[in-house]
Amino acid sequence: MVLLNVDGVECRYGSTKVLDDVSLSVKGGDFVGILGPNGSGKTTLLKSISRSLKPYKGAILLNESDIYSLKNVDVAKQMAVVPQETSIGFNFSALDVVLMGRNPHMKRFQMESANDMAIARKVMNLTNIWHLAERPINELSGGEKQRVIIARALAQEPKILLLDEPLTHLDIVNQLEIMDLVKDLCVKEKLIILAVFHDFNLAARYCNSAIIIKKGKIFAAGSLPAVLTSETIKSVFNVDAIVTKHLVTNSVFVIPLSPQKPSPCKECSIHLICGAGTGTTLMKVLLDEGYSLTAGVLNVLDTDFETAQFLKIPVTTEAPFSPITEKTHKANLEMISEASTVVLTSVPFGDGNLQNLEAALAAVKRGIPTFVIEEVPIERRDFTGGKAKALLAELKSKGAEFVKDQNELLSLLNVSVEKLQIAKEERDRLLNHLKPGEISKETTMKDKDE
Amino acid sequence: MSTDEVESTFFQRTSRWKFILILLVLALIITVIISLGVGSTPVPLSDIVTVIGKNIPFLGGHIDSSAVTPQNEAIILEVRLPRIMAGVLIGAALAAAGVLYQGVFKNPMADSYVLGVSAGAAVGASVAILSGIGFVFLELRLVQIAAFLGAIFAMFLVYNLSRVGSRVPVTTLLLCGIAVNFFLFAVVGILEIVAGNQLPDIVFWLMGGYSNVYWKDIFAVLPFIIIGIILAYFYARDLNLLAMGEETAHHLGLNVERTKQILLVLASLITAAAVSICGLIGFVGLMIPHLTRLVIGPDHRILFPTSTIIGAIFLVICDDLARVVATPFASTLEIPVGIVTMLFGAPFFIFLLKKKKQSYSA
Repeated sequence: MVLLNVDGVECRYGSTKVLDDVSLSVKGGDFVGILGPNGSGKTTLLKSISRSLKPYKGAILLNESDIYSLKNVDVAKQMAVVPQETSIGFNFSALDVVLMGRNPHMKRFQMESANDMAIARKVMNLTNIWHLAERPINELSGGEKQRVIIARALAQEPKILLLDEPLTHLDIVNQLEIMDLVKDLCVKEKLIILAVFHDFNLAARYCNSAIIIKKGKIFAAGSLPAVLTSETIKSVFNVDAIVTKHLVTNSVFVIPLSPQKPSPCKECSIHLICGAGTGTTLMKVLLDEGYSLTAGVLNVLDTDFETAQFLKIPVTTEAPFSPITEKTHKANLEMISEASTVVLTSVPFGDGNLQNLEAALAAVKRGIPTFVIEEVPIERRDFTGGKAKALLAELKSKGAEFVKDQNELLSLLNVSVEKLQIAKEERDRLLNHLKPGEISKETTMKDKDE
Repeated sequence: MSTDEVESTFFQRTSRWKFILILLVLALIITVIISLGVGSTPVPLSDIVTVIGKNIPFLGGHIDSSAVTPQNEAIILEVRLPRIMAGVLIGAALAAAGVLYQGVFKNPMADSYVLGVSAGAAVGASVAILSGIGFVFLELRLVQIAAFLGAIFAMFLVYNLSRVGSRVPVTTLLLCGIAVNFFLFAVVGILEIVAGNQLPDIVFWLMGGYSNVYWKDIFAVLPFIIIGIILAYFYARDLNLLAMGEETAHHLGLNVERTKQILLVLASLITAAAVSICGLIGFVGLMIPHLTRLVIGPDHRILFPTSTIIGAIFLVICDDLARVVATPFASTLEIPVGIVTMLFGAPFFIFLLKKKKQSYSA
């Protein structure tokens, strides 16, 4: 079985250190993902393993012999590389390009044998490009070309396969096909696969282990669940991410959130009345805009609750799957009284959370500006036999601001008070000009579109 | 196309290549024989065949050459044959070097003069002409020796200027070559200004031609060119790998830097040898590899030998034209062959390029 050891490797470009004391030990059957931000040294690591950049310190051992003491051609018999970008001079056919993968196995004046051809055909069938065999390489699409390059690497019959962002030009079906193929080879033929990924979830789905590189050093190494944590992701990539298990593939699933913008520090706090995931995106967006947020009442385990937990938003909570008690309702009202604005999302209402509507009504009565998002008509989310609908109508009559979706809310919140006033007047004017018949016609058309 | 068809087409390739090569060698022989009759004094084909046959070892004794006038025999053997053989050799050399340079540089604009070889030779030749010394070494004129040395000197200059550590990045090499070329041609310009009476000699050398070539000149450069071409052919498949990009070639088991060094030195030696007897003949090294690639495809295992032979044929034909085109106006007037290659080669090349535009990208 093939063994690859990276032993305390330090690499430099000129005097700039790009890899620092990197050690790694892999054996046949290992599928290792290499993750890290741009410029962290992932490609450099692959370069030093593929004999393109001799380490300044440390050694790379292939089956216990120093790879830099071996002949190029002997390494090429065992190791193949799929580079990030390839530009091929002159118009070789796809088959010619794949057959070049046989080079390390051929003597100087040998022509390609029937055996070489059989191997080329096999790998081209595996990568699904045999039908392109006679097409000139530079007339192929990016994805087709990439599959030719992968086939060429496989034609080397390597024991070690280095992939540097192999999926860059591939569409989703091709990505999965290629990764399935590589994984299969890894398992059946006991190949070592080292692959640089940018997509955490692809890495999580296919690799047995991963290393995360930060500024030239290995920051974390090990199994995917151990390596891909939101703490690691935050400190290496400087991005917040929700890490869960994927329901279908059961692999670690990372949902990166857009990088936190510097807060504009709005002098405004918003209380969100939401639930069942209707407030999740809003929470993130409003936080990014610099508002301070509170939310409630939310049941523990509710999607919005989990998001709020993650984003560290104060929440008035109720026990899982339980109706809102009088006590929590009061706590919520207290929280509302601290807020300068209240936002009510299009959450469905049942007897369990009807009190949240009353809380909104209380807010309006206290003169707190209240926005109601009516993305879904109340008829479709009222499970209280009309009680919710009645309360919503009361909210409207008491002066709550109704908006059709999140975007409208955001545009209203982002403009100054003055402009807000103008916008409101504009809208009123527009609505007055429209006859009821026309409105209903418009909405039915919209419904059809949806 | 079915699987079997693709495979059988592929495996027929070797015999197809052999067929092409045999055809081209025949074409070259025919071109040479016909060219022997071309010139201000027409020589009948029967005389040519007889004289050549007489000079073939063993067979020669049985051929009766009494029908050929001694004058015609002298024209064939001492005037035209050396000149045509020089054409074969120089055409082959320039085209072969062109393939090597384009392959190593992965650049379609590279030609046999890209490393400053032409400019170096020009400086060497100009200095030699200006010195006015009729120096002769091993029967070679000083101009030839100086051109050869100048070419080699320029090549090493460019190569060392563009070296970064143990590596020679191709782009740097190309840019250095261009810079050194300009600089050395500026030197040639200064030499031309101060040349006085010798100016026509320099200008004529720069235009390229080999009308006064002798057998000894050919024998002097023959080993460089023949051995250079044979050695370079060992690296034909490596040139295919280099076309995949240096990084990939490295991953496919090629010792990239060493291969590049060897090929560049070989190509420059071949070019320098050719330039030393013919001056600057443009376009052959650039155009012939392209033209051949259009027809034959990019695989250097066949591209290299076919380009070499086609280069030879092309230059011999151009020289035929150089000999006869001006004859109607003045029987002693000749156009330098370097002018002919460009004058007729360029439009033909553009025609081919237009015709195959869709399928050709270098």
